[in-house]
Amino acid sequence: MGWQGIFESSGILFTGLVNTLLLSVASIATGTTLGLIVALLRTARIRGLGLPLRLYLEIFRGSPLLVQMLFIYFGAAYLGIRGVDTFMAALTALTLYEGALISEIFRAGIEAVPRGQREAARSLGLSRYQIERYVILPQTVPIVLAPLVGQYIGLVKDTALATAIGYFELVREGQAIIDRIGMPIETFIVIAGIYFMICYPMSLAARRLETRALHA
Amino acid sequence: MTMIELRNVHKRFDELEVLKGINLTVEKGEVVIIIGASGSGKSTMLRVINNLEPIQAGEVWVAGIPVHDPKQAGEVHRIAGMVFQQFNLFPHLTALQNVTLALRKVKKLDQKEADRLGGKALEHVGLADKASAYPAEMSGGQQQRVAIARALAMEPEIMLFDEATSALDPELVGEVTGVMRQLAAEGMTMLVVTHEMGFARDVGDRVVFVDEGVIAEEGPPEVLFTAPSNPRTQQFLHRVLDR
Repeated sequence: MGWQGIFESSGILFTGLVNTLLLSVASIATGTTLGLIVALLRTARIRGLGLPLRLYLEIFRGSPLLVQMLFIYFGAAYLGIRGVDTFMAALTALTLYEGALISEIFRAGIEAVPRGQREAARSLGLSRYQIERYVILPQTVPIVLAPLVGQYIGLVKDTALATAIGYFELVREGQAIIDRIGMPIETFIVIAGIYFMICYPMSLAARRLETRALHA
Repeated sequence: MTMIELRNVHKRFDELEVLKGINLTVEKGEVVIIIGASGSGKSTMLRVINNLEPIQAGEVWVAGIPVHDPKQAGEVHRIAGMVFQQFNLFPHLTALQNVTLALRKVKKLDQKEADRLGGKALEHVGLADKASAYPAEMSGGQQQRVAIARALAMEPEIMLFDEATSALDPELVGEVTGVMRQLAAEGMTMLVVTHEMGFARDVGDRVVFVDEGVIAEEGPPEVLFTAPSNPRTQQFLHRVLDR
């Protein structure tokens, strides 16, 4: 029986799940950090930084993540840069791509804070850093939390693209099972189910955060 | 001793010239009231003094600090406290935390000392019992009094009030002007943009009428309100006092 075969391959699937989670968690951390930094730099309107940041944003938002992954992985090999394994290449591409999208979420959140907040803080003598840290960001976080989690859901599914450069995440391990025992339909149903079990709780969390932000 | 001096200040927003050569001197302990129609440039004047707007020409001196020089302009925030029309309290902080934030982060006081001074400042505006309330839990008048306490806690030498009562329901205006009267009585140097003509008359040492980006007339309130010499002042007073 097919299901039986898949069940017996659960060890392989588990490895895939761990690798998917590893890549997801790592790129959520790096993508969020990059996105926050880019948003802060863009909203600070620092002279000379506006154009380069805009270019970064448009290039990585405006091209497919798959292409970026292939470009980084094979580009690094072509240039002889060592240490760029499949995980590093996937993580780098995800960081840059998700960072671009996340920076826009943060920018919207930062700009949603009324201008008077910044002026009052400045009048009290707070430094630029202190204003962001103690006045603006605490008000930004409740605004961006729900859209951020929404973005993370997309990110988890985007990690599946790393299969194209040979990273052994869920889809790739599923492929390995199919290569061995066939049963593609059943295997992919199981894999889709695993993704759903990761993403659905996140979706519920996003909804709860949204209602909380509305009542805040 | 001169606390504020504006010399031929010009301020432009793109094509629109808002301040067209303002000259003004405020002495220590003086309460100067700025009146004028909306759009006349009176709020911009305060914002220029407090380094919230850059100017295109002229000089702004506050307690010896050249605010027109971007390198030194930030120093003005040690000298001046500002109160805004929209209160601008930090909504995620309690009243006490609003007051103590700058004490801790700018003056680098420890929590205990900051809380003590913050408590005193709240007491000063009659809100010691609201220390742990969030802005959303307070009335507009209470919020504005917390905003005044927040500025006062930094021990400014000058207080700038930008239409501090304009966003308040009429019955709440008195509690805020009450605190402002008290401050004036304590000898604080104050620059007050307001539409409260009663307050202007009672508390002002001098009234400045701003019209289309210039100071059209200034003088003691008893003169300016009863016998204004400039026809534009007469028109303006006629309109606001007639309401």
